[in-house]
Amino acid sequence: MSRLAAALVVLAALALPAAGLADDTTPPVAPGAPSLVVGLGLDDPALQAGVLRGREVILARGFEVELARILARRLGGRVERFVHVSSPGRLLASGAADWQLAFAGIPGSSRTVGADLSTPYLTTDVVVVVRRGLDRPRGLADLRSAVLCAVRGDGAEAAAALHAKRAPSLLPSADRLLTAVRTGACDAALVPADEAGRFVAGHKRVLGPVVGRIRHGKGLVVAVARGGGLAAADVDRQLARLRHDGTLGRLARTWLGLDPAALPVLR
Amino acid sequence: MLNSRRVARASVLVIVLAALAVCAPAGASSGSLSSDVWFLQDGRPTAAARSAPGIPGIVRALLAGPNRKERAQGLRTAIPTGTAIRDLRISRQVVTVDLAARFTSGRDATSLQARVGQLVRTLRDVPGVRGVRVRIEGGVPIGLFPGYDLRRIVREAVPEETASGLRDVQELLAALGFMAPTGVTGQPGDETSVAVLAFQKWSGLARTGVLDAQVTSALDRATRPVPMLDRPGKRVEILLGRQVALEIVDNRVERVFHISSGAAGRTPSGAFHVYRKERMSWSVPFSTWMPWASYFTGGIALHAYPSVPAYPASHGCVRMMARDAPLMYAFATYGTPVDVVREYA
Repeated sequence: MSRLAAALVVLAALALPAAGLADDTTPPVAPGAPSLVVGLGLDDPALQAGVLRGREVILARGFEVELARILARRLGGRVERFVHVSSPGRLLASGAADWQLAFAGIPGSSRTVGADLSTPYLTTDVVVVVRRGLDRPRGLADLRSAVLCAVRGDGAEAAAALHAKRAPSLLPSADRLLTAVRTGACDAALVPADEAGRFVAGHKRVLGPVVGRIRHGKGLVVAVARGGGLAAADVDRQLARLRHDGTLGRLARTWLGLDPAALPVLR
Repeated sequence: MLNSRRVARASVLVIVLAALAVCAPAGASSGSLSSDVWFLQDGRPTAAARSAPGIPGIVRALLAGPNRKERAQGLRTAIPTGTAIRDLRISRQVVTVDLAARFTSGRDATSLQARVGQLVRTLRDVPGVRGVRVRIEGGVPIGLFPGYDLRRIVREAVPEETASGLRDVQELLAALGFMAPTGVTGQPGDETSVAVLAFQKWSGLARTGVLDAQVTSALDRATRPVPMLDRPGKRVEILLGRQVALEIVDNRVERVFHISSGAAGRTPSGAFHVYRKERMSWSVPFSTWMPWASYFTGGIALHAYPSVPAYPASHGCVRMMARDAPLMYAFATYGTPVDVVREYA
């Protein structure tokens, strides 16, 4: 009897971590629930990756892929398949989408024809990582006299230019940016929010703290195809719930290494 | 004996080249092939010899992983056990290998990158193979394997997996302030040795000037040196314990120089400033030339000298390498503060 009880305890313990990872507040999918086709851009490996076979994406994984699955379940359906959409501009201009939802690094400021846009699910703010030994900046004023650096062309350079007294150093790659901060050539690295976790991963000993984020852009949003059976308002409602119950934060920590929305905003 | 070996090698090469010359399915190259397969030892790529029937056999040997003896020697593989080949074709010296979905399992970025590196290294070691095209379940993997764009033919494994090259080390030494950027050449030499010595002194390592595993490991963790004292403006710090001189601007260390100060504590510690400068100074008591001399107290100066050992050796002056002394001379203008710090008891 005691062996049976012990076995039950072990089984329960084994089941707990899995339950912790699952979207446990989501109701089970009802038979006959709508099947969704989800468009993916496959532009950013942390947000979405997979194997492209024709137009179909198999073995899909990433922050947005998980979010799509959870969102579909919260909307009472499931993801039937993922398809590749090559460019957000074309995707949004298309009046005849063969998907219901699309995640393709779509900025909240996009103009659309064939789709409605949700509220943001991921910030496009710029995260500030300082070098070791630098006094922790409390606000943007403290950063003005610092040497700010960013990777050329990744969007953070605009924020660097806005907040630096002298022209920011623009570097060709994240590796160079890392070297510049660890060697003190830069006081602070400005990194796009979705890349900040990967930037600091494994390098915490040679970098200073992640001190906060600078407001930038309007975030990434979901495109909801018009006439696809889903309403953007319903998607917004579910995204708000996912934000409120911590699911979005958990997904960000899992796939991006940190939850940028949890960082303080530097003003 | 030698001739028969040559004939055997030539016949293997002919078989492989024949297989590579035409687009052929997996079974086409059935001759026995001796080549290396690549595993990992302490995370670094390591080769193991294999003989197998053709390129497919070599790939199967790779997927099978290290044998018991190799595992005992510490060899590991990042390729998931049970990964199967779906198809393998060779066309125009490019091998297209289609693997089962299992190859993508796991989320550890290092492992995902390493397994593609193993595959690419193994196939690139086969004579005549110029590139590798990786397919998964018949499709193109996008973003699944960090460091690789598998939409294209892969010619080389990503360099992040290999040990740092000399140029990388020199770039890091320059970025940390231990050598001038002009010293980054990719070639070994005196300038690199002196920079390594300065780094060893700063880091408290054995002062050998040799770029060994201890140095590269310490460099991996190194950050820019910080001054001992907190003072604004342009100044020089001479650290008698570490035997280095620091050029500092607003508490940021610009350069770290290897020096040799006075033996038996003959260089006084304290706060001084440069009060006399001579491009070619004659030392009356020791009857020797002291090029690029910046005097900061009495007859004690920073200057060039032919011998700059890793320990205090002078009569009190601060000896510098002939390459470094003009730089210090230009930096330490009249009135520049010179703080001599005895940082160790």
